[in-house]
Amino acid sequence: MAWKFDNPLHTLCTDDQNEAAKKVWEGESLGGITEDNNRLPQPILGLLVLTIITAFLITFPLWGQRPNAQIYEEYIALMDSPAIKGKSDVEAMDYIVSTVKASGSQWAALQERHPLEMDDLRLIKDAVIELQRQGADLREYTVLGDRLVLANFEGNWIPDGKGGERRQRLQPWWDKGYTIDIFFIVIFCVACVIVVKRLPDYGWEPTHHGH
Amino acid sequence: MFKYLFAKAEDIPAGSAAVYFGFSSIVWFVIGTGLGSFNAAKLAFPDFVMGSELLSFGHMRQVHVLAVILGWISMAFAMAMMYITPALGNTKLWSEKLGVWNCFLWNVGLSLGLFLLWLGVSSGREYSDLPWFIDIVVILGVLLPLGINVWMTIKTRRTQGIYTTNWFFGAATFMVIIVFTVGNSPEFFQLTGLTEAYLTWWFAHNVLGLWITPVAAAISYYVVPKVTGNPLYSHRIGHLHFWSVVVFYSTPAAHHLMSAPLPEWLKSFASVEGVLILVPAIAFVSNLLLTMTGKWRMFVENIEIKFTITGVLMAIPLNMQGGFQQTRAINWYIHGTGWIVAHAHLALLGFSTFLEAAAVYYGLQTLLRRKLYSLGLANFHFWMLLIGFTTYWVSMTIAGLIQGAGKIYEVPYIDVIIAEHPYMIARWVGGTMVFLGNCVWLYNMYKTAIAGTAIPEGRLPHELAYER
Repeated sequence: MAWKFDNPLHTLCTDDQNEAAKKVWEGESLGGITEDNNRLPQPILGLLVLTIITAFLITFPLWGQRPNAQIYEEYIALMDSPAIKGKSDVEAMDYIVSTVKASGSQWAALQERHPLEMDDLRLIKDAVIELQRQGADLREYTVLGDRLVLANFEGNWIPDGKGGERRQRLQPWWDKGYTIDIFFIVIFCVACVIVVKRLPDYGWEPTHHGH
Repeated sequence: MFKYLFAKAEDIPAGSAAVYFGFSSIVWFVIGTGLGSFNAAKLAFPDFVMGSELLSFGHMRQVHVLAVILGWISMAFAMAMMYITPALGNTKLWSEKLGVWNCFLWNVGLSLGLFLLWLGVSSGREYSDLPWFIDIVVILGVLLPLGINVWMTIKTRRTQGIYTTNWFFGAATFMVIIVFTVGNSPEFFQLTGLTEAYLTWWFAHNVLGLWITPVAAAISYYVVPKVTGNPLYSHRIGHLHFWSVVVFYSTPAAHHLMSAPLPEWLKSFASVEGVLILVPAIAFVSNLLLTMTGKWRMFVENIEIKFTITGVLMAIPLNMQGGFQQTRAINWYIHGTGWIVAHAHLALLGFSTFLEAAAVYYGLQTLLRRKLYSLGLANFHFWMLLIGFTTYWVSMTIAGLIQGAGKIYEVPYIDVIIAEHPYMIARWVGGTMVFLGNCVWLYNMYKTAIAGTAIPEGRLPHELAYER
């Protein structure tokens, strides 16, 4: 099986191989069915490129994640504030949210995306305070209703404070899932180009049964 | 069928296995959609058929699902493989006798499996509900013999090249055996927890992605060029379609579990791959629609093309939905709602059913050498299927959005039930139309077999469709 690399985007076959392929292509009837040698129309090619870009944009940066405990730390700190004494739950929550927002919280976007009510805050308050007491990084804990659970992100290995190591559980801006995707897409594109460039160039069209 | 089980190979007429598979598939389609209509009635009218545990929704749902997937869809695939694979290789089916036995064991195994499911003997895992000993029957008595017949027919072909359809047939029959064996491993090896959940959805995803979708597409690669007489638009795009199915459809199983505690990197990976399912879809749709160039009148006039192109067009909303609904942001809203049920029916009752129906219509006429008994009834069947399915899909999509809103905004359950009730009735109406259409189809094909006008030597059925 010979290969030709001098003009790889034109053809990877030798002239002899291309001629043999054309002869079979035109002479063979596959149960009465024939095939043309058209290339992928350019608008369709553009659509495929757009699809690949969209695939990353719509899933990145991890849209739709659950909230982590850190974004509610400021809310919880205000729960015992004298300013909310005597207010209803709704009024108290409005006060907490607007106060935190006015203070220019760095979690403002996530707080807006994951709103909660005073009852929700009450459910997680003790767990957040306990984690703060332990010196835990609240960003590593996902809020699941009334529970705070260690997130399942797989970050770098860091010291666990007990002489060993553990995974960091922070939400990354990029994770290895995307790296694997890029690897897949590159290998796929290369393999596809090789497969179609082993065919006679698309500039040649077969004649079927003499016409 | 029984007389050929122990007959000499040379005494079995060519095409027998395909004909038996064809009629079996229609019968299972009637049964499967009948069960679907019954189940939908239970959801629309809660007091419908009370007092029997065996007729409760929990006993009946999975019988409907497996009857349709392994009975209708997969048997129609087997039918198509039994006549298309040899036709494309200018040869005969490798073993007609194996095909007949395959059909016999398939019907017996599936009947037994569905009976057990109905009694409540189930693995409890969606789509892979069958108990482990029936799984083994399916692998060894159903899928392996089918694969052997297809692979050996391709191997003994009398052509140098292998046409696109046969790449898909050969690869899909291999892949579905792997999917069935590995996907059912939680039951073989008592795997539990997240491993069980992942493998359950690995199975469910790949039955769709590596069996139903590619084989349905492969059928249309045969029917459109064969019936229109046009060459397939592009052999090259066929390559793009085939390899993108293998690469991008086999990998996103984790996107069915976006809210589960799987590693997040796996979900990110699966989510991107899930959108890339659009790559094979775009290749497939563009190749087939461009093949239709100059023959679009057949979309109106010819029953096989009508079914096939409708199925091909349904691949567009199907893959747009499939690609985007699995991303984290959207999945959060529609996961666990009727939206997913609507999507599953768009894949199975929309896209693939229309393609398979065309193959069965065309195959039975060709093999029996008889013209369709009634083109009018065939058109009636088409419209009952299309209107029934569309009613089902639209109503379940709306119901899913209502359920999603109810889930996110914590609306009391009973209020959601009341809000979606009209759409449950519409679902039942749509499903029942499909069922009634299929009853007409069975009658039409039975009459075709016994009273259809004989097709003269050298002519093809679709050439005679409008001749009296």
